Amino acid sequence: MNAVASSREQVLGRIRAALRGGQNSAATAEQAAEAYVGLARDYTMRGELTVRACQERFVERLREYDAEVTECAPEELGSTIAALLTASGRRIFVAPPGLPAEWLAAGFEWKIDQDLPAKEIEKADGVVTACFCGVADSGTIVLHHSATEGRRVITLLPDWHLCIVRASQVVETLPEYFDRCQVSGIRGQVSGFMDHGSGIRDEVAGSLPSLVTWISGPSATADIEMTRIKGVHGPRFLNVVLVRDGEQGPGNRE
Amino acid sequence: MSAAAEQTVLDRAELDPAKAPSFPVAALPVLRNVQLRKNVAHAIDVIQAKRARLVAEKTDWQALRAAAAAIKDHVLENLGAYLEQFEERCTAAGGTVHWAVDAADARKIILEILREEKADEVIKIKTMTSAEIQLNPFLEAAGVRTYETDLAEIILQLGEGEPSHIVVPALHVNRSQVREIFARRMGIENLSDEPKALTAAARNYLRQKFLLVPTAISGANFLIAETGGVVVVESEGNGRMCLTLPRTMITLAGIEKVLPRFQDLEVMLQLLARSATGERMNPYTSLWTGVTPGDGPQKFHVVLLDNGRSSILARKKERQTLRCIRCAACMNTCPVYRQTGGHAYGSVYPGPIGAILTPQLEQLRHAQSLPFASSLCGACYEVCPVKINIPEILIDLRAQVTDQERKTAGKFFDPMYVAMRAANLIFSRAWLFHAAQKMGRIGSRFLTRKDGWMHSLPSVGAKWTLTRDLRGLPRQTFHEWWAARERGAK
Repeated sequence: MNAVASSREQVLGRIRAALRGGQNSAATAEQAAEAYVGLARDYTMRGELTVRACQERFVERLREYDAEVTECAPEELGSTIAALLTASGRRIFVAPPGLPAEWLAAGFEWKIDQDLPAKEIEKADGVVTACFCGVADSGTIVLHHSATEGRRVITLLPDWHLCIVRASQVVETLPEYFDRCQVSGIRGQVSGFMDHGSGIRDEVAGSLPSLVTWISGPSATADIEMTRIKGVHGPRFLNVVLVRDGEQGPGNRE
Repeated sequence: MSAAAEQTVLDRAELDPAKAPSFPVAALPVLRNVQLRKNVAHAIDVIQAKRARLVAEKTDWQALRAAAAAIKDHVLENLGAYLEQFEERCTAAGGTVHWAVDAADARKIILEILREEKADEVIKIKTMTSAEIQLNPFLEAAGVRTYETDLAEIILQLGEGEPSHIVVPALHVNRSQVREIFARRMGIENLSDEPKALTAAARNYLRQKFLLVPTAISGANFLIAETGGVVVVESEGNGRMCLTLPRTMITLAGIEKVLPRFQDLEVMLQLLARSATGERMNPYTSLWTGVTPGDGPQKFHVVLLDNGRSSILARKKERQTLRCIRCAACMNTCPVYRQTGGHAYGSVYPGPIGAILTPQLEQLRHAQSLPFASSLCGACYEVCPVKINIPEILIDLRAQVTDQERKTAGKFFDPMYVAMRAANLIFSRAWLFHAAQKMGRIGSRFLTRKDGWMHSLPSVGAKWTLTRDLRGLPRQTFHEWWAARERGAK
């Protein structure tokens, strides 16, 4: 066999040699798991705001990072989307394959993403998607890239992104988002968007997401003299519609 | 005036610790460069003010720091197990995991992958680890063109400069220098020096590269052992472009980047952006796991890099160095970095973290001057989101460097070490100490001026008086005064 140990064996060997004699170094994965559970986590897990205040913070922090926010009632969603698309002055939009038909406003050219080539997506003026979650504390939108959120590339190449967030998807703190991942798994929650309870679950509940994009405001840089410039390579315009669906997130107070 | 005479030549800096001059030597030209110091001070003042405001609004900041330090310590204590778990899960998800003992090993692995892909160009997401192993010059020499895609990295690549900061690597370059570099290298006439116009120029310059180049290289902010996932934190979207459009993705990550679970990101992501850029969250954070059919690169390689890291694990006190999440808060707050900028540190890792990380990665064969490049004020420890006690490690490394030097042949008769041995002898015997005080008083009389100060000392003493004066010895020691007082009282 190999006289020279492989790089893998060498690196792992060095690590073991370095840790040998260390008082706390656990020998097995089981012992490590036990030690992990005991780690102190005294930071804020649950938010303290009321449902309404939490939504207000979400909107305020999105706006602070240059996102445009519109609020509407569930029955106004279709007309709100149509109005925003019209106001944008844009014509060609990409939509993920699972986007509800009611969202595809008439009078625009829709490209439904069934493995559209990048060149096609690049030519579109904008994109409309749902999301998995909104985090009020940092004004963040989280995509798990399900059928209603689309492949990663469609929210990247077009210059204008409209994201629909249900109020019940908004949590106050980042740990609350991670709790939702443990509970709902990857795609269950979002695919049930228009059809509560009977949505198609194409992943086992409780499995963790394999693709995640956390978006906080439009693409930006401060590399030249620390001047914040909106829009480098990602979309220059981030628009959010917050749908007041009256539902409560599990982490929110009354 | 010819065009060549107008060219902005960014200061050439040697960032290979094996070749770089010592810190005091490298710092001198920077200290004389008023423009560069202005650029650095402006940039870090802006980040510091933003960071301070956002940290103040987090009521659980200290608890987050404590949790982050505990998670990282736990990982380091079980590093082998977590790396093996990451390898298993990433492989199961369709990725290929490689292990690299050192920089040469990592470069070889990456080049082999590129040869297999028949790649003659690659697009890159900013990664300090790639700079650490000097990947770009190696690939260029092997016939692979590298395109940096982060705005600051483009400025440095086109301007042939070196990074001086780990988060905003071109903070030492101002807008008129950027304008000149872009106009010349991108062939744009009448380019304005407005940051907005310069950013747009970079967007256009790279757009086609993103769509056409089929291979990309990234670093990693975090690896998740539980899922085999990889996380990249960025602002511009160039990262997402590289992670999404190419066919093949190669990620180079230090072995210390692994976290036990997906949920641990709830701690790290809250700390990182606030510490690094003074944002609640950076615009884009991406997580991917192996290969996802139909979405993004269909071939994915991770190279796990040791390159001296495992040797840091062995020393209990120094081990905390590997908690670092590369936020740069320590250099932004450091009074030394503020004056010298990053190039003086002779490494891609400048500032306080560089002063402890570089000498250790080099296993004290190089960069021995860095642990002394600090006033030990402790500001870096205070802002560190993973609570690395940098001053403590600096002092420990100083002792190691001194021990190393003391034992070097030829240093036995070095006046400083002779003086230290003499002091050791004198301070441990009271009678010798008193005698030395009397002798010193007589000897120093000729060196003390009328104002009671010594302005210049001979021999090694000159090292002290070159930059400050020394108070002359008093006519009477405390012991003598006390004895005289006792006698007077009787």
